[in-house]
Amino acid sequence: MSATLATTGFTQETFDAFLAARDEPDWLSDARTAAWARFNELAMPTSREEEWGRTDIRLFKFDRYSLAIAAPADGIAPRALLAEGVQLGGQSVSINSHSTEGGLSEKWSKQGVLFGSLDRLVAEHGDLIRPYFERQLVSTGQDKFSALNAACWSGGTLLFVPRGVQIDEPLHALSVMTDGGIDMGKTLVILEEGAEATCMAETASSDASGGGLHCGSIELIVEKGARLRYVNLQNWGSGVWHFAHQMGHVAANANLQWTIGALGSRLAKVNQHVGLIGQDAEVQVNGVMFTQGKQHLCYNTHQHHKAAYCQSDLLYKGALQDRSRTVWRGMIKVDEGAQRTNAYQRNDNLMLSTTARADSIPGLEIEADDVRCTHGSTSGRVDDEQLFYAMTRGYTRQEAVRMIVTGFFQQVFDRITIESVREALGEAIGQRVREL
Amino acid sequence: MPVSSFIAAANTSEIPDPGSMLVEVDERLVVLIHAAGHYYALDDVCTHDGGPLSDGLVEVQEGSRIADTTIADTTIACPRHGAKFDALTGAAATMPATQATVAHEVKVDGDQIFVRLSDH
Repeated sequence: MSATLATTGFTQETFDAFLAARDEPDWLSDARTAAWARFNELAMPTSREEEWGRTDIRLFKFDRYSLAIAAPADGIAPRALLAEGVQLGGQSVSINSHSTEGGLSEKWSKQGVLFGSLDRLVAEHGDLIRPYFERQLVSTGQDKFSALNAACWSGGTLLFVPRGVQIDEPLHALSVMTDGGIDMGKTLVILEEGAEATCMAETASSDASGGGLHCGSIELIVEKGARLRYVNLQNWGSGVWHFAHQMGHVAANANLQWTIGALGSRLAKVNQHVGLIGQDAEVQVNGVMFTQGKQHLCYNTHQHHKAAYCQSDLLYKGALQDRSRTVWRGMIKVDEGAQRTNAYQRNDNLMLSTTARADSIPGLEIEADDVRCTHGSTSGRVDDEQLFYAMTRGYTRQEAVRMIVTGFFQQVFDRITIESVREALGEAIGQRVREL
Repeated sequence: MPVSSFIAAANTSEIPDPGSMLVEVDERLVVLIHAAGHYYALDDVCTHDGGPLSDGLVEVQEGSRIADTTIADTTIACPRHGAKFDALTGAAATMPATQATVAHEVKVDGDQIFVRLSDH
């Protein structure tokens, strides 16, 4: 690896140095170069675009960050919340997009499973990974951030499970960012036909109030008859800008359970899309959001039914305190040929202060004529009578509030089938709730 | 909570009368308004849907609602849906906004405009 350049920002000079420092196949370097050109062509999103109309990023400045070409000095990895008390099949850790440690149980590697740093594995298994890579689930040209990630991703995580292999131990990936650092992670999960796996990805800052930039992507490829449980916990420091594009493709008779925890960052803008591309595919999406201070979290979800007889079920629940804000825009899109679709989306918000704000915008776009598609949205405050009742039973006000907040999230916790994830989210939220 | 200090935000010659200008003050976007010889500073946020106010029209009406001042009523209108905000107080003057946006203290020293950010 070369020394870090003093230049800040994303300049041609830094990109050239970044590319020169990497040992990658030509097809990947060419793809990066094309994406870099796209990044330079695309303008910064503005509030005049509908998708960005409620998310103001004018204070975000690219020139305050720089590509992490050299590995950082040793950083202290924060506690991994999702892995506590879990017998893992493999683990991967990166700091500022540089892989620092990792390993996969021999039991699984012997069966052809690959897990760990995408950097390393794409160099070692380029021919195997290339076709999946080139599917480009996340379109390079979707916006400036998707182009930047396609050009400059580093570190990252790969999980490849060959046909028919069923992994019964969760795999865990932790991405850490130091204060003022940058994370350009790309996650690629591939489950071949009939495979099964559980993957838990977690992001965190070494300093809870730390700043930085995350510009990432997640691509989940669930082939015919495969079953994937994927968990993504975003727990960056309170000064981090978080931009992410996430896409899952679920083939015929396959199943994806995708759980998102959104707790950290200063501002998050996430596009989470699932495509049901084969008959009888099933997707369940669970979202847990908790915001405080002046946090702004914006999640755009998209359930795209492209084939008949598929089912998707999305539930996002958020609790907001202080002056924080969430924006959820959900869309169920049903193509003309996707008859007998069964799709649902719901967003519930619990307002813990009068100065918080939740924008909830569900949508349906249906071109088939034999479907069941419904949606719902609720926003409300903690019921004073419930608080009073709990306090007459001996709880303090804060205990009562915590109990009510936990109860609010129980509906989504009940859908999460991994105990450590339920416990980690419950604990993290409980610590954040203050007295009303 | 410590009181923030005045921070230089712009030069008086940069803003026509009537007119406005977007400035960044200590990691906060503030719209400076110049009208009838007075300067005002508001958060660049329409409380209706969170959009920016800075491209909005500044209007000055003769007379004053505020006793014992000669300051004319000045509003800035959100370019998206037309909600108007009082330049002095940030109060929502017309629908669809119902809540005030944050107003900041302004002083002019020579040709320099200074802003002291509100704690809100």
